[in-house]
Amino acid sequence: MLKVENIKKKFVRINNKKEREEFYANNGISFNAKDSEIIGILGPNGAGKTTLLRMIAGILNPTSGSIKFDELNYQDNEIEIKKNIAYLSGNTKIYNTLSPYELLKMCCEIYGVSESEIDTRIKSIATSLNMNDFLYNRIEKLSTGQTQRVNIARCLVHDPKYYILDEATSGLDIISSQVILDFIKNERNKGKTILYSTHYMEEAENICDYVIMINKGVIIKEGTPNKIKEDTKTTNLRDAFFSLIGGVSDEE
Amino acid sequence: MKNNLGNMLKKELRDMFRDKKSLAMMLVIPIFIPLLVIGMSTLFEMQMTQDPSEYNLIGFDYELSEVENNIIQELNINPIIGTEEELKQKFDNNEIYLYVLKDDNNYTINGDDSEATTYASMLVESYFNSYKNYLQNEYLTDKNINSDEVINIINLKENIVKQDSYFANYIINYAFLFIIMAITVSATYPATDTTAGEKERGTLETLLTFPIRSKDIIIGKFLSVSISSIITGLISLILTIVSLLLANNMFTIYEGSNLMLPVTSLIFAIVVIVAYSFLISGLCIAIASNSKTFKEAQSALTPLTFISFFPGMIAFMINIQTTNILALIPFINFTLIFTDITNGNIDYLNIFLMLLSTIVIIVVVLSIIIKQYKSEKVLFNS
Repeated sequence: MLKVENIKKKFVRINNKKEREEFYANNGISFNAKDSEIIGILGPNGAGKTTLLRMIAGILNPTSGSIKFDELNYQDNEIEIKKNIAYLSGNTKIYNTLSPYELLKMCCEIYGVSESEIDTRIKSIATSLNMNDFLYNRIEKLSTGQTQRVNIARCLVHDPKYYILDEATSGLDIISSQVILDFIKNERNKGKTILYSTHYMEEAENICDYVIMINKGVIIKEGTPNKIKEDTKTTNLRDAFFSLIGGVSDEE
Repeated sequence: MKNNLGNMLKKELRDMFRDKKSLAMMLVIPIFIPLLVIGMSTLFEMQMTQDPSEYNLIGFDYELSEVENNIIQELNINPIIGTEEELKQKFDNNEIYLYVLKDDNNYTINGDDSEATTYASMLVESYFNSYKNYLQNEYLTDKNINSDEVINIINLKENIVKQDSYFANYIINYAFLFIIMAITVSATYPATDTTAGEKERGTLETLLTFPIRSKDIIIGKFLSVSISSIITGLISLILTIVSLLLANNMFTIYEGSNLMLPVTSLIFAIVVIVAYSFLISGLCIAIASNSKTFKEAQSALTPLTFISFFPGMIAFMINIQTTNILALIPFINFTLIFTDITNGNIDYLNIFLMLLSTIVIIVVVLSIIIKQYKSEKVLFNS
């Protein structure tokens, strides 16, 4: 189980008056994520979703609060935790000079997959994601959709327990997006925990078991999609979100 | 899994050897060394073999006496007689190299500070010395004075030992200094690419999600850049030796100089190259990893290129000798010890001090970079 407790992340920015100004990208966020659960992190751009997921993936350190994966924290067990998570964002870039096969082999080696198992595992993942046609081509020659499939494959090689997916379908066409959504559902069915951030409310409504809505760094509502709609007396998550923030403001 | 250093090094080396620009920096820069050696040798050879008598077209605005004509013939001067205006025009048209104007017993030599005037004035000075000598002799003889006793009142003998292969040593020192510069230049590109470049390409975020310690990431990057620098250094050393041997057969300025490095000198030259490659790679990575973009890193690294070159160059210019203190000071120690080694002076204490200072600096620099790679300010400073 993933436990996020009261995490805050403070940044410094330069305001319009050219003065240094501190602000909280996340300000006291807490939630739990259980096995076989897809948690949707929803919010507009700038709400603090990426910062939150980067902290959970161990790329950023929280200013305060705690993140525990099966009672392990980053301070004492960083390597152990990272062995069990996979992080994928819409902006995740991979090594263009490698072929998908070389990249996956490198990932297998980093995650400690045994030498005898590497080839079989890569070929099995490549077949399941329909990557065989371009498995040995340089990544720089692949299309956006193919590259994102390689990215998914990269996440699968070490069979992680937790997936942290940040706007993973952003900018992809409908077919490539569907590949990712199918992958998410499959992994959930295998008992994995998935944190999935998006600003596509409809997408989240379709696949998430639990939704956390964030705005300006704080949770404004959480629950199952049906519960949120019921509480806000709306018919979809988009309307629910707008009813919670009081309409479309200039800032959004 | 426990130790991902090998995986990191493999990844970095593969990235580097597949990148055309990194390969070009590694392999192309040493090619400039033979060009430098041959170019400088040609230049010095030309200077050494320059014959001043080639610049013998001298103008005079007066008719020359028989005595003057004799001296002029002796010195192989080709006199051009004309008025001041004519001579000035001929000088401006490069038809004569300088011209002499006479007003009673006052002579004025006219020219500029060009190479041709300098050589021509050497001839004219010889001419006037001889002529003055003749006139003084005549005067003293008329007065019944032994001219020899007056003119040669003191005897001056020159006992200046001609320094062997001055130009050759100059070129050899600069060629080895250029090896240091080649290593610096070749380290900057892969160091920039593996740090700021990785940030700019967005792959750093991916790397940070892997279960790899910051220490392994940094040491992997450091070793890969060092390997690239060592390759450049060794290619440069080979090309330097080959080009010096070639130049030795082509130019007379190398006469009397021993260009074959003994095996011990060669081994220590390689030790200096390896030590310098490690130092410069660490420094380049430390500087480049603080930059947001590739361009910013390249700008930040430019001063390092100069710092690596200038102390050594100044040491050559003012002929600084290696001391134990200087052996501890980075940059200057490499060039001084390199020069000592190539001149056959191997001082084990100085080499040890240089290695000690390098190891201390590398450890400090690597600790700083490892800390930097835990700092969000450095990793996500955009």
